[in-house]
Amino acid sequence: MSSLRNAIPRKAHKERAQPQARKRFGLLEKHKDYVARATAFHKKEETLRRLKEKAASRNPDEFYFGMIKSKTVDGVHRPQRKILDISFKKHKLRKKKIEKLTATLHSLDGRPSSKHVYFAEDREEAKEIRSRSSENKMASTSVDIPDYIKRKIASSYRELEARKNRANQLEKIHMDMALQKELQKKGRKRKLREDEIVCPTTKPVFKWRSERKR
Amino acid sequence: MAPPRGRGGSGGGFSGGGFRGGRGDGGGRGRGRGFSGGRGGGGRGSAMRGGGMRGRGGGRGRGGGGMRGGSKVVVEPHRHEGVFIAKGKEDALVTKNMVPGETVYNEKKVSVQNEDGTKVEYRVWNPFRSKLAAAILGGVDDVWIKPGAKVLYLGAASGTTVSHVSDIVGPTGVVYAVEFSHRSGRDLVNMAKKRTNVIPIIEDARHPAKYRMLVGMVDVIFSDVAQPDQARILALNASYFLKAGGHFVISIKANCIDSTVPAEAVFESEVKKMVQEQLKPSEQVTLEPFERDHACVVGGYRMPKKQKIAS
Repeated sequence: MSSLRNAIPRKAHKERAQPQARKRFGLLEKHKDYVARATAFHKKEETLRRLKEKAASRNPDEFYFGMIKSKTVDGVHRPQRKILDISFKKHKLRKKKIEKLTATLHSLDGRPSSKHVYFAEDREEAKEIRSRSSENKMASTSVDIPDYIKRKIASSYRELEARKNRANQLEKIHMDMALQKELQKKGRKRKLREDEIVCPTTKPVFKWRSERKR
Repeated sequence: MAPPRGRGGSGGGFSGGGFRGGRGDGGGRGRGRGFSGGRGGGGRGSAMRGGGMRGRGGGRGRGGGGMRGGSKVVVEPHRHEGVFIAKGKEDALVTKNMVPGETVYNEKKVSVQNEDGTKVEYRVWNPFRSKLAAAILGGVDDVWIKPGAKVLYLGAASGTTVSHVSDIVGPTGVVYAVEFSHRSGRDLVNMAKKRTNVIPIIEDARHPAKYRMLVGMVDVIFSDVAQPDQARILALNASYFLKAGGHFVISIKANCIDSTVPAEAVFESEVKKMVQEQLKPSEQVTLEPFERDHACVVGGYRMPKKQKIAS
């Protein structure tokens, strides 16, 4: 029966819009919107309640790691920084990230550090090329880019620089730790004197006594 | 003007250039914000701009989108035809993707929306992986590879640079990509399946007679073979396929030719070899920050004699 009723074209009921007189209140809220708003509100309410309850039932004599891992600086709570993971896997991930960033940051505005050579047949041509190339240098690319994009580019370059620095430092630390680990192992070794070092470095150089292996 | 409403049947009465769907504006309800909140950053030049278009779908964007009006990326044409520059989170050389949605070597894609609502996709061209891109960034005057050009590419490898060259020449141009190694040739063929203007040739570039039936006359030869006799290979191919007055671009890796002498000397000797073979070099750039001891030489083949001005 209902299928028959569906066959007859019915009037399409359009969604009601905000009346013109109440336009200043914005779009007309529907039940769907109300539900979204209400759930968001109740979620916040619940979070607040839970936090309050936690604070009320706190045991002042209890020990928390947060006590020693954080402190207040000028009245502002500062959690202690995370300990850096210097594992090899993480190191490779960092390298990869740097690679990814350098793939998309080509420093287009800076002058290229490459060397440019022109070949000319005679003096006249050389003169011509020289005048042309100096002209090119004068006409630099100045396209109006919105400020927010300029800021974005700058921040990208800053991030890349910071990441590179950090990777460098971590590599140094890694090398030092590896050396310490080797030194703690068995085997006779000694530190080389200044004049014995073949390729000069600032770091200490050790030499192991060759050992017969079976 | 009334604030645009994407909702219901009210339709969007945008005043100008509005290609944002639905309520992308982010003017929250009940705050009485007009259209003024949209589109930050003025200066709408010739550059196309794109970014996230928000449709009606995504959660009914209550409370404002994260990207205050303006687009995320600006793409502008480079000095070389067919090459573009994308500025946004990235600051990169890009080419227009001939096969939208596809990448060749997991490079980044940049999508941009035109004023008329059509979408254009660009691919970032990594200069660390492509010597041609490195040469362009190095400031070479002319690469001669432009829309509609016919290009013979020697030493195509897996086809990373070839894909960008195919982007540049577009559907009216042709790229003949020659690669000897079967292994990397496989990737090249797979890439060429999706790009109609690339013709992969798995042959030794030393014997152009073997593939002369496949290749017509070309405007430009790009050579990246890294062999000690690469100048000879280039000259041989030029004699078969390059039109008189055509151009060549060759990348030279100093180590591959002679690792005992300084790079500068190697480049010089290679240029001398080219001159003997009727290849007239016009300029040379080193690919410095991207590759060590590499150079890219650009020149013409059988150039017409310059007329002396009769005094």
